Amino acid sequence: MNKLREWWRQLRFRLMGQSFDADLAEEMRLHLDLRAAEKQTDGISPAEAESSARRRFGNATLLREKSRDAWGWTSLDTWLQDLRYAIRTLIASPGFAVTVVLSLALGIGANTAIFSILNAVMLRSLPVEDPHGLVKIQIGESDDDVTNPIWEQVRDHQQAFSGTLAYSSERFDLAAGGESRFTEGMWVSGDFFRVLGVPAMEGRVFSADDDRRGAEPLAVISYSFWQRNLGGDAGALGKTVRLNRHLFTIVGVTPPWFTGLDVDHSYDVAIPIACNPMLHTERNVLDSRLTWWLQMIGRIPAGESISQAQDRMRSIAPEIFRATVPLEIPAENQKEYRQRSFSLKPAATGFSETGAQYRTALLTLMAIVGLVLLIACANVANLLLARAAARQRELSVRMSMGAGRWRVIRQLMTESIFLSAIGSTFGFLLALWGSRLLVHMLSTTAHPLEINLSPDPRVLAFTIGVTLLTALLFGFAPAVRATKIELNQVLKESARAAVPGARRFNLSKLLVTGQVALSLVLLVGAGLFLGTLRNLLTLDAGFTRRNILLVSAEAQEAGVPEARRLSTFQEILARLQSIPGVVAAASSSIEPMGRGGWAQLSQPEGFVAKSPRDTLLFLNRVSSKYFETMRTPLLLGRDFNDRDNLNSAPVVIVSESTARKFFSAANPIGKTIGLEGGAFDKYVAFQVIGVAKDAKYNRLNESPRSLAYFAAGQDPAPWSKLVFEIRSETPVEALIPAVRSAVGGVNKDIALVFRSFETQVNESMLQPRVVASLASTFAGLALVLAMVGLYGVTAYAVTRRSGEIGIRMALGAQRTSVIWLILRDVMLLLGIGMVFGLAGSLAAGRLVTSLLYGVRPNNPAQLTGAVLTLALCTALAAYLPARRAAQLDPMNALRDE
Amino acid sequence: MANRRDEIPPGTLYMLILRVLARHKELHGYEIANAIQQISDDVLQVEEGSLYPALQRMLLKGWVTAEWGVTAGNRRARYYRLLAAGRKQLHAEMAQYQRVNGAIQKVLQTEGAV
Repeated sequence: MNKLREWWRQLRFRLMGQSFDADLAEEMRLHLDLRAAEKQTDGISPAEAESSARRRFGNATLLREKSRDAWGWTSLDTWLQDLRYAIRTLIASPGFAVTVVLSLALGIGANTAIFSILNAVMLRSLPVEDPHGLVKIQIGESDDDVTNPIWEQVRDHQQAFSGTLAYSSERFDLAAGGESRFTEGMWVSGDFFRVLGVPAMEGRVFSADDDRRGAEPLAVISYSFWQRNLGGDAGALGKTVRLNRHLFTIVGVTPPWFTGLDVDHSYDVAIPIACNPMLHTERNVLDSRLTWWLQMIGRIPAGESISQAQDRMRSIAPEIFRATVPLEIPAENQKEYRQRSFSLKPAATGFSETGAQYRTALLTLMAIVGLVLLIACANVANLLLARAAARQRELSVRMSMGAGRWRVIRQLMTESIFLSAIGSTFGFLLALWGSRLLVHMLSTTAHPLEINLSPDPRVLAFTIGVTLLTALLFGFAPAVRATKIELNQVLKESARAAVPGARRFNLSKLLVTGQVALSLVLLVGAGLFLGTLRNLLTLDAGFTRRNILLVSAEAQEAGVPEARRLSTFQEILARLQSIPGVVAAASSSIEPMGRGGWAQLSQPEGFVAKSPRDTLLFLNRVSSKYFETMRTPLLLGRDFNDRDNLNSAPVVIVSESTARKFFSAANPIGKTIGLEGGAFDKYVAFQVIGVAKDAKYNRLNESPRSLAYFAAGQDPAPWSKLVFEIRSETPVEALIPAVRSAVGGVNKDIALVFRSFETQVNESMLQPRVVASLASTFAGLALVLAMVGLYGVTAYAVTRRSGEIGIRMALGAQRTSVIWLILRDVMLLLGIGMVFGLAGSLAAGRLVTSLLYGVRPNNPAQLTGAVLTLALCTALAAYLPARRAAQLDPMNALRDE
Repeated sequence: MANRRDEIPPGTLYMLILRVLARHKELHGYEIANAIQQISDDVLQVEEGSLYPALQRMLLKGWVTAEWGVTAGNRRARYYRLLAAGRKQLHAEMAQYQRVNGAIQKVLQTEGAV
């Protein structure tokens, strides 16, 4: 109430009291005059009386400000005044302003951009009801999926939670036939939407009833899918959507804010887990105790802690694992399985493959841009120092007129914050664009990234925080330094001598040394990432990636019985091989350089394994001419041929390292490798008929793996999906129509996906490529900033010492010795900076090891390279002003002095 | 050293101004300064200028009001007058001051008795 009245008085006063300053001045003047008059009657001279009155009165300027302060709007007033003043001074030196704003915009922009991605994939909470009550239910500490039997057990024993849900992401094919059109799908449990607290916007969401075995095929669709594919028509309810050739009836639409649980793509269609057998007929996923495909989430009851729920889950774990143990696996593995337990992890931020995959890369980039901003700050601080030296007269006049030191510092800080704010405004706009660009760079056709990057309060707070911190970093020390002046001296003497020069110079030397150190860290980092990229680009992947078209064919819904799959695929392959322009064509069950894989333990003849894992083979089943098509040389033995069929003895081609590992120096041809379990019902002994050169299996940067290839013609139970590799002489895209009609000629219902192998390979290098290019761009920027910094410091030193240089030259000093005189100082800075930089690089190198391939952090050659680059560039930056010093005319220099 | 002046304790300035204004009908700044010195027998030293920020703050709080008038020497001066809220404030502050002072004195007396 009182506060309100005060505001009212404040406002009224503000509106009426325009003469506030004049009134106050008059009032104070009267006071001083009366006091002086009183003193004078004591018999003191008028002048003395007046100064005595002043002494008793105190600092009038300061008191006037305090009086204004009393009304609460001084702060605003002085702030506005400071701001106006700041704008005026900055307009007066546009070059300075533009340089500062630009470097801050780049620095702050880069930081905001990386942070907004980091925020989206790692920090932001899921758009669901009370996301912090959600926990991920996982087995042990591993992030792996669970089987449906485990989920059903958890669902039916959910005392620990107020609700549980399970889901799995899968892409579904919307097309009725021919080329596939994929949509992002989710398998969800009946309670999925209820537990998350996501209501239906139209229609209804699922209930537990919809997730019963044999239930109707129903679908809940996302708002964006509804808008995109159904025109946002309310009549869409009750219509059907085709998923992998099966029709699902749409029962509801979720609100626009719900985009699913994965943060790197939003869901389109959700269907009940119980419908899985419709789409996956070949194995009973619902009862399979070995198919790990679901993620489980629970909601902690209100008022309970995670550890309470975890204790309860742990107490029922033995029962659950006993009931779901896979009987197919060996007894000792069953025992291990039964001993597993659950652990709960907060799930508020959702799930993100990107987050897990790019975590280190994102954090590294965040650190890099942070360092760049620091370097930019050092530069700006240096500029401000130089400016402060030039503004000494102005500042000392202000201070001698009664402006308090803090008042001047505040004025200087206002300028800094103003600069920083403009910089960050531009930076923010830059970041909006930059973060989208970066996500676009990381997005691939096979795995499009869809990350919600719209700035939220956290990103805004981050930018504002960085802005203020930046201003403090670059502005505060120069402001304090600039106001630490001997007033009399400045006013009496020339500006040059005013601030104790050597000390001013020390701060800027320190800044430059820091810049050198940070730049070296960034250069070393960039070198490591570029080295990684170079290794990946030049490594021998074991195949030639150009001019190969990958065609994945899914026969699941094409009405081809399992018994006829082999012959159907063989017929298609024969037709593909006869397309004009096709050099060679082959098929494989695993897509080369794809995300999938098939690995099993093996029993190689005569090989004594130290651990079972030693016998792990990465497998593929390929047709004849696969090696010819991929241009993977066969080093020994022969390729598969038509005689390798179901009636002949099983054969295998192994990779070079497999042969070396299992059979060392012995001739591998004719040896046997046994396999059991997994894809094989019973023990099968394969005879080695050939050795192929090593090739990459999933990614270019994988460590060497042991590979083995089986013959497609000996596949007793072919999978419904197969990949054809087609090598042509022409650009591969031109082949697509011919391939489509060739496949269509055999079976029109086979679903096809086309991809260029080269693109596929390049996309597997995306992260190293992006990290390397960003790291080297930023390192380059850092180098330029450091050069500018060093140039500035050297140039300043030359100006400051021009008198000394003049005397030296007048006394006969040679130009080279003058240059050396200047450079000696710079070398010292460089040397110290490099020592710190090297220490920093060694420490930082260890943190990024997981992002490197084929280069070791801390290798001397690489460090030397970075040191030399930095030394060369900075020496050049210092040499230019030093040479100018040597060209000084001694007469002029001395006359100036 | 007889002439030694003590800095006034912070916060007391308001009380002094209110007290002075309570005795007189209206005063301008210089008169307030002199009156404070008088009632404190020149012991309490006020940096005279600091009256003015304090007066402004009191205007804002609604304890005093000010009007321009003319001095005996025919100069324009701002005269301050106590308002009801100011009088209430004065009583409150004096009461509190006496409570604290009484307590301190009690402590000192018991100390002395020992």
